[in-house]
Amino acid sequence: MFVSAVPGPGFVPPSTNDFNLPPVFGNSAFTTKPILLVFLSVILISIFFIAAARKAAIVPGKLQFVGESVYAFVRKDLAEEIIGHGFLQFVPFLFTLFTFVLVNNIFGIIPFLQFPAMSHVAFPYVLAGFSYFIFHTIGIKKQGLGKYLKGIAFLPGVPKFAYILLTPIEIATYFLIRPVTLSLRLFANMFAGHLLLLVFIGGGNYMLHDNHLFMKILSPFSFGFGIAMTFFEFMVQCLQAYIITLLSALFIAGALVDEH
Amino acid sequence: MASNEEGALWSILGYLISGLLIWGGIGYGLDHWINPHHHWFLLTGCLLGMGASIYLVWLRFGRE
Amino acid sequence: MKGTLNLVGYGLSAIGPAIATGLIFAAYINGVARQPEARSVLQPIAFLGFALAEALALFGLVLAFVL
Repeated sequence: MFVSAVPGPGFVPPSTNDFNLPPVFGNSAFTTKPILLVFLSVILISIFFIAAARKAAIVPGKLQFVGESVYAFVRKDLAEEIIGHGFLQFVPFLFTLFTFVLVNNIFGIIPFLQFPAMSHVAFPYVLAGFSYFIFHTIGIKKQGLGKYLKGIAFLPGVPKFAYILLTPIEIATYFLIRPVTLSLRLFANMFAGHLLLLVFIGGGNYMLHDNHLFMKILSPFSFGFGIAMTFFEFMVQCLQAYIITLLSALFIAGALVDEH
Repeated sequence: MASNEEGALWSILGYLISGLLIWGGIGYGLDHWINPHHHWFLLTGCLLGMGASIYLVWLRFGRE
Repeated sequence: MKGTLNLVGYGLSAIGPAIATGLIFAAYINGVARQPEARSVLQPIAFLGFALAEALALFGLVLAFVL
């Protein structure tokens, strides 16, 4: 075979080091690309929704229509359908979560920005932390601290000795695993997606600059895959923003009903 | 209704992971404490935790 | 390139539970599509099957990292 399967000495496969970007300006840890992108997303979202809501009319213009359909999607399809009675007080949180995650994810495929901030695990952890705080507070407020904890730790209709096995699992699920599963899915998808794009684009770039003519001819396939994966990433990014909002809504709904 | 199932699936996964981590972690700790060269407590703990979490899944979602 | 072969082994062993989960939910969707009122009967069975298949994948994950 004329193409070696071992990567050549010049090719550096993308790794986690590609996610530790140097500061854009200055020498501080607070001016790195992800943090600037998060601030940019906040500014963009605020400007967009202020502009969409300022000239609110009965017959909506284009801007107002887009803004209202995003809002209606979160309010009707997520909050009302899942939480049900008393959903209105959670709409602001869910709406903020959805738009924030969506815009930050889509930054991953916009030229020149091209970095999803959520591929740094700290950002999803903080979002999951908000959600965690809210649903536990709601549960304690609604049912009282003792009853809420008892409902979590002791499942009714189980023989007494099984509690030794089951209670640690229940407590760990509610207090340790839930925020982790909530955030890790978003993080892993964004991380893997960005790495995938790096592999295809970086690989295509390396093949194009290789000395063999054969490699040069094959490089457009790698670039083509990179472009196809970019569209695929767009889908994944929207889906992940939807899923983290959906799961937050489900946890809030679970804390609201006292099923135990 | 569909979102209901999605929530159930993720909480099943959460139960399985935490059962494995809690009891497997206790087994791992015992192994380190008693005899660091064998993994018998780890294996016992993993099996015990997995059994307990499948039992828990059956209790929560399996019975009518 | 550096790495541990444990993870390759885990990747191979995760194929089984992945196919199993796919089969379980294919059967569940088929059943509900043919007879929507059977949903409440099928749902616990599908969830238990999912839990059993997923348990094996998680075993592999833990053992790949620990052993």
